Amino acid sequence: MFTPTYVAQQIINGVNLGSMYALIAIGLTMVYGLLRLINFAHGDLLMLGAYLGLLLVSAAFTPLILTLFIPMLAIGFVGILVERLAYRPLRGAPEVTMLITSLAVSSIIENSMVMTVTAQPRAFNLPAGVNQLHTVAGVSFSTLDALTVGLSVALMAALTLYVRNTRTGIAMRAAAENLRAARLMGIDINRVVMVAFFLGSMLAAAAGWLWAAKYSTVEPFMGFLPGLKAFVAAVIGGIGVIPGAVLGGYLLGFAEIFFVGFLPPAYSGYRDAFVFALLLLILLIRPNGILGASTEERA
Amino acid sequence: MVRVEDLTVAYGGIEAVRGVSLEVGEGELVTLIGNNGAGKTSTLMAISGVAPIRSGRIVIGGEETTKLPPHAIVARGVAHCPEGRLVFGRLTVQENLRLGAYQRKDSAGVRQDLDRVYALFPRLLERRAQLAGTLSGGEQQMLAIGRALMSRPRLLMLDEPSLGLAPLIVQRIFSVIRQLHEEGVTILLVEQNAHLALTIADRAYVLETGEVRLAGPAKQLIDNPEVRRAYLSQ
Repeated sequence: MFTPTYVAQQIINGVNLGSMYALIAIGLTMVYGLLRLINFAHGDLLMLGAYLGLLLVSAAFTPLILTLFIPMLAIGFVGILVERLAYRPLRGAPEVTMLITSLAVSSIIENSMVMTVTAQPRAFNLPAGVNQLHTVAGVSFSTLDALTVGLSVALMAALTLYVRNTRTGIAMRAAAENLRAARLMGIDINRVVMVAFFLGSMLAAAAGWLWAAKYSTVEPFMGFLPGLKAFVAAVIGGIGVIPGAVLGGYLLGFAEIFFVGFLPPAYSGYRDAFVFALLLLILLIRPNGILGASTEERA
Repeated sequence: MVRVEDLTVAYGGIEAVRGVSLEVGEGELVTLIGNNGAGKTSTLMAISGVAPIRSGRIVIGGEETTKLPPHAIVARGVAHCPEGRLVFGRLTVQENLRLGAYQRKDSAGVRQDLDRVYALFPRLLERRAQLAGTLSGGEQQMLAIGRALMSRPRLLMLDEPSLGLAPLIVQRIFSVIRQLHEEGVTILLVEQNAHLALTIADRAYVLETGEVRLAGPAKQLIDNPEVRRAYLSQ
């Protein structure tokens, strides 16, 4: 059972799933880092991205690449809008208030979708070529799998370069570390928060498209579970720290695939229980996440 | 340069500053002294726009700034080196310094000032690629001051620059403050080491439980019996 090919196959699957978790977790961690807001509506932006993608994919004349990029851009702006309307008025409010607001936003978005497009799952079918299987040395993957990993890595690399080197990127890291000190530097926090919501929502939309393509379906509640798991990934990696979100995303992706792939089939139904037990263990050892700041640093 | 009129700062129901008025003239070095909780830090935070102002006015360079957001106050030439230094530990020394110049568009001038800060604190040059969190307390204080200077401020506010530092480093930092003063930088210095502060300042305000208790030329206050008893422990 544990042939090298089999292991290689599991690694490919893990990278695949992990890439999507990482994409989603980045937006959550950026927003949490700046505002201490656990944005439950993040998964719903993923869902909106998937629906918009579906709309464009169904219009046969749209080039495939645009069915991805248009939703990314559009959902980026939706993210800005959500922040402006729902979260900015609460700036400085207790974390619990913001948390509840984000649950409300999530619920509003999901139910608006149920009302307009119904809760009926819809097929998300890409041109046949995208799902074509390739087999290299006994390990098989689809064009979509390659696209998922390639696109995710490219987007994350671009984001890393942006956050490392640009003026706004450095300001974002500073503000995530200490909001008050960042304000004293003359950083306009609202602007940084806006950029974070734009970029994070964009990545969520990309993940939504990839997710819909992988499971060939979209429905109004599809964002909930990936959003929740990505949040866990962000916590494991060290919330507020972007490389932590990436690391946590891949770790979670691998853990899920490996528990299913290597445990006796009787246990595979308990996948999430095993995965979360492992994550609890990590948090016991590193309470602030793997790359997270220690509490002293946070002060 | 800056005028504070009848300022009251309150956190919830607790008034940290009650009706404080003070002024710092162009090129002056003014110090605020007083015990913990006297309202020194809150006064600086209010000038910077990050403390909740209940009443009163703040005027910087002739323009009222009471209700402006912090980034607009920085744009008017105020640099604030906060208590506890608050350097960005996950950023490099150089990134920290560049953030001090966040609002500046003249990259040539920024580079020039970067060299100036490194000349002032050679240790920072040695460690410019290091994460600020790995610096010693004294080095972090140097970084915090250097970072504040990077905006080329018209008013430099320093909050407890000597706190928790070894005497030798305190000396180094105060000689830099004196040097900046001689160069004509307007400085508002909060310091719990009253003796040190009164020695280098032009004027001083003594704060007690949120109110101005005494004010006057530093040289006079240093001989004031009340000040000597309460703050110079003599």
